[in-house]
Amino acid sequence: MDVITLEDVHKSYDGIPVLRGVSLHVPRGIVYGVLGPNGAGKTTLIHLLAGFLRPDRGIVRVFGDENLQQVDGRVGYVPERLRYHTHYTVREYLFYLGRFSGLAGAALRRRVGEEIEACGLTSVVNRKMSALARGMVQRVGFAQALLSQPELLLIDEPTSGLDSEGQRDIIDLIDTVRQRRCTIMVATHFLDEVDFLCDRFGILHGGRIIAEAETRALRQSSRSVVITVADLPSSTAVALSALSTAVCCNQREIILTPNTPELQAQVLRLLLDHGVSIISLAPQFHPIEEFYRSAVRGEAGRHGESDASPPPPGPSGTGDTLLRELLRREDQRTQERQTDEP
Amino acid sequence: MQALLRTFWFAAFTLSEYLRSGRIIVELAATVAAYYLFFRRWTLPMTPDYFFSTVGLFTLGLTVYTGSTILALGDRPQGYVTLARRLGRSPYLIGLYVSVLVVSWGVYGIICLLIALTNPVSGLDIAGWMLGTLPLLLNLAMLAALLTLLTPIVLPAPWRLAVLALVALAFSGNLISGSTMSSLPEPVALALDVLRTVLSTPLLPAFTGFAISVSRDYSGASAVVPVAQLFLVIGLLSLAVYSFARRELLFSA
Repeated sequence: MDVITLEDVHKSYDGIPVLRGVSLHVPRGIVYGVLGPNGAGKTTLIHLLAGFLRPDRGIVRVFGDENLQQVDGRVGYVPERLRYHTHYTVREYLFYLGRFSGLAGAALRRRVGEEIEACGLTSVVNRKMSALARGMVQRVGFAQALLSQPELLLIDEPTSGLDSEGQRDIIDLIDTVRQRRCTIMVATHFLDEVDFLCDRFGILHGGRIIAEAETRALRQSSRSVVITVADLPSSTAVALSALSTAVCCNQREIILTPNTPELQAQVLRLLLDHGVSIISLAPQFHPIEEFYRSAVRGEAGRHGESDASPPPPGPSGTGDTLLRELLRREDQRTQERQTDEP
Repeated sequence: MQALLRTFWFAAFTLSEYLRSGRIIVELAATVAAYYLFFRRWTLPMTPDYFFSTVGLFTLGLTVYTGSTILALGDRPQGYVTLARRLGRSPYLIGLYVSVLVVSWGVYGIICLLIALTNPVSGLDIAGWMLGTLPLLLNLAMLAALLTLLTPIVLPAPWRLAVLALVALAFSGNLISGSTMSSLPEPVALALDVLRTVLSTPLLPAFTGFAISVSRDYSGASAVVPVAQLFLVIGLLSLAVYSFARRELLFSA
């Protein structure tokens, strides 16, 4: 059964349409990203799922139920723009919100303690919310949303307004939350967030989901990878060229076209064996950005819009650092899978 | 039982924020000012009539301020975080209402205490005080319930205007009367008269409640007035809860 089902959902404010027939299905246990520029209707979509709004037309089902009052407590919500009550200490705030979630006594103390630890709030637990850095406030946002151990977590622009370090912290936090096996929906305008976090994503444009894709499949479709090295000895260059005709190299760069995970692993192993310092590893194009551009271009073409190639919704700023991190995690997961196998 | 408990915790949460944010200073300053202006008279002994009429009007005025401020706390985007849990919309709204009442009744209590300690009302014993206090507190509860109903998160703007227009029409007797009334065409005057009578009926408990508070005379049909006040409170609150449960949540940015 799908955790989220939206069928031809329309929503407008004062006659101005925001959603014009959104349809999507989110199965259990995945991280689904809603990618779109500011004002695309992402928050409206999240608020519909949280039961704050009702659709003008169409069906919104969460856990198969159209009456969203029934699913309160099974859904956690992390709002955008760090909108929390600021006059409490972190502990007091979590205790109050836990009580609103129906927790009490020892169970409440246990859950608050667990989330304080899981979200890395131990050092600021007695500090006032107003005195916290933005990144920490967002951590409190995650702690409050996870208190009732939700099966579905709705996250609205989780890194908006945070500096790059804060963004990384929150992305790491969401990455740990995904291990709890709850379904997560993230609304974002950052391509990197989709790249790092989401198993699947949909592009919200013109009030509709115009395209959906699996991030893993997109990453694998990335055709070329450039490995920059400090200095490539000629003996290593010869050995690399012998690996495959897909390897092309000069003194500073090795280009794999087309790239495959196996070939990439072989090249990296060879470089490490020859003691070559690797400076960076980056795809020649950002697959999600390319996918976004082509989807929006296609949509614009269908509607005869003049600007057929708008910029992507947000900066993919942190570039190859993020990619390296992504590859490190992929390797880690592959290793974990291999160790799990008998 | 669970809903009651959540209502209690949400009211405690709201009051705690109200105190910590320092907003309560306005009420405290107004209370001290009112005490010095109206009740700290050394030359003449204070009569029960003077005490109840003055304190009744002062607390009504202050309830309008307290109600607007506390209900505005419920109309912020922070409300999404509280309503995204099992709290429920009714405990949310009633929690806000209870917070208004606690502050308004608290202010009344402080004034009574100050007066009892420094300038006791002559000829007013505990029984008399309780008889005058009951309708006065119910009037505050009614006003708070009306303010709750008129909050933007509860009624949309056109409905709020309609309710306010009806209240204005019910009160229009003070403005449109005598010669103005007789100058109107007979059918219009008759329709206005009927409309006023019908619309002012729900206001009767408020006016008579105030009168009983001052006179403390529960003889005859007056004994029913507190019951009518209570019903009006429940009616207004039920209407607010019903409307809020069906509204979309679009908190003020």
